[in-house]
Amino acid sequence: MALYTHILTQILITVVSVAGVFVLTGMTGMFSLGQAAFMAIGAYTSGILVTKLSVPIFLAWPAGVILAVAVGFIVGLPTVRLRRDYISLVTLGFGEAITALLNRATALTGGASGLTGIPKETTLTIALLSAVVVIILITFFKASKYGRQCIAVRSDELAAKAMGINVPKVKMIAFLISVAVTAYGGCLYAFYTAYVDPTLFGWKKSAEWVIMVFFGGVNSLTGSILSTFVLSGLPEVLRFLQNYRAIIYAVLVLLVINFKPSGLLGEWELTPANLKRIIKRAGQAKQPKEVR
Amino acid sequence: MATLKVEHIYKNFGGVKAIQDFSIEANPGQIHGIIGPNGAGKTTIFNVISGIYPADEGSVYLDGKDVTRMEQHRITLEGMGRTFQNIRLFKGLSVLDNVMCAFDPQSKYGVPGSLLPLGKRFAEEKRGRDICMNFLKMVGLEDYAKERPENMSYGHQRRLEIARALTCRPKVLLLDEPAAGLNPVEVGELTELIQRLSKDIGFVILLIEHRLELVMNISQFIHVQNFGKTIAVGTPAQVRSNPEVIEAYLGKEGG
Repeated sequence: MALYTHILTQILITVVSVAGVFVLTGMTGMFSLGQAAFMAIGAYTSGILVTKLSVPIFLAWPAGVILAVAVGFIVGLPTVRLRRDYISLVTLGFGEAITALLNRATALTGGASGLTGIPKETTLTIALLSAVVVIILITFFKASKYGRQCIAVRSDELAAKAMGINVPKVKMIAFLISVAVTAYGGCLYAFYTAYVDPTLFGWKKSAEWVIMVFFGGVNSLTGSILSTFVLSGLPEVLRFLQNYRAIIYAVLVLLVINFKPSGLLGEWELTPANLKRIIKRAGQAKQPKEVR
Repeated sequence: MATLKVEHIYKNFGGVKAIQDFSIEANPGQIHGIIGPNGAGKTTIFNVISGIYPADEGSVYLDGKDVTRMEQHRITLEGMGRTFQNIRLFKGLSVLDNVMCAFDPQSKYGVPGSLLPLGKRFAEEKRGRDICMNFLKMVGLEDYAKERPENMSYGHQRRLEIARALTCRPKVLLLDEPAAGLNPVEVGELTELIQRLSKDIGFVILLIEHRLELVMNISQFIHVQNFGKTIAVGTPAQVRSNPEVIEAYLGKEGG
């Protein structure tokens, strides 16, 4: 039971981060290979504040998120005006720089041996609540004016500008929301494992999240969450396959890209209307003869 | 003061002189046709006026305001709407949401309202939906609001582009080959639509079109472009009888 609680908590923390990446990559079409660095900023800031300065958690976590957003704003400022593909390069460089910095600033971060002694505060309930709240916020965002503009920017930047959409601003909003959510995931993570070290936050982590979004469906939050459960849950459940994790990932991703380029669910979302339709269809399938 | 005033604009791409000294002055309710063979620089004129590329020289004034060096989206908000020759609708959004995207920059709620059902969000979304449905109705697409644009016919996609441009509340509407790829019935309906819009809304329409019967029918003024230069300006009748135009564009037996 404890093992499943552990796996579920970790998956839910990943769900929070992937939901952030969904806004950036799924909706706006920007690829960040440094997103894990923002998770690191959230994790380290809140961790250091609590362990070294005895700041209460309810202040330390928001501080972690705010610092990440401030850094994100500085990183975003030059990049949102560039072509979309450049954002991957800039964030990749930024992310690796952050990891290097965490490795070097030994006095503050513990360097390569990691930051220890973080109190274990994140429970399954907190992780679940956080995931639900984040999912609700992003569902609202997707249906809002900025959500629509994000999708418009992803689809056709030039046409978006011609409709009066302030493309750099929309990209910045998407980027910062994504950064805030990912940084919050970092706080959850640090206060769950009670230990963080720089290797956890490299570009591979960021790439993994991008894969999860693509696997699930480029424009489907439901798909991103589902694929987070599948892709991070499977290796945990099938422990004996742990060594083949990378291979399984690669094969799954290649299969999806080959046979369903828009991801497992494409643009499908689990909305009340869609849910009703499924239940109706299932009901009809059960009693096919009774229909008049 | 003219609604749209373009003064002596020039645009080169490397050695290619795409626009050489193009000027136009247009007042509300007028339809100006721009014609010319392929490669005459017609779309480039639209791209410079709407701010996709800056002009090398010259100025564009909208209601007396210099918009030449403004960012593209600012120019749109100043009152410049346009459609594209190669349809550029937003994939991943419904027909209504495509139009809503053009309303969103005018919508008055911020990031907090986007994340939570707060404040003016619902009132503004409703206002936007009503306005957008109205424009969809104007082009006859109100029954398709929930469809995906990529599932609609070519003619409907062209109309949707017009509805989306109308939602920008333009003072000047740039239509780039709106009849390309349409069948004769659809061309007839489009002609009627453009004339109705011009009359009802009373904005300036600039029209690039290859179908001469359409341009000649509905434009009050015609600008004939060839190799980046304006070779004739005038009413359809004047242009028709201009020998240079006949030679460059209409062919020997025309006129």
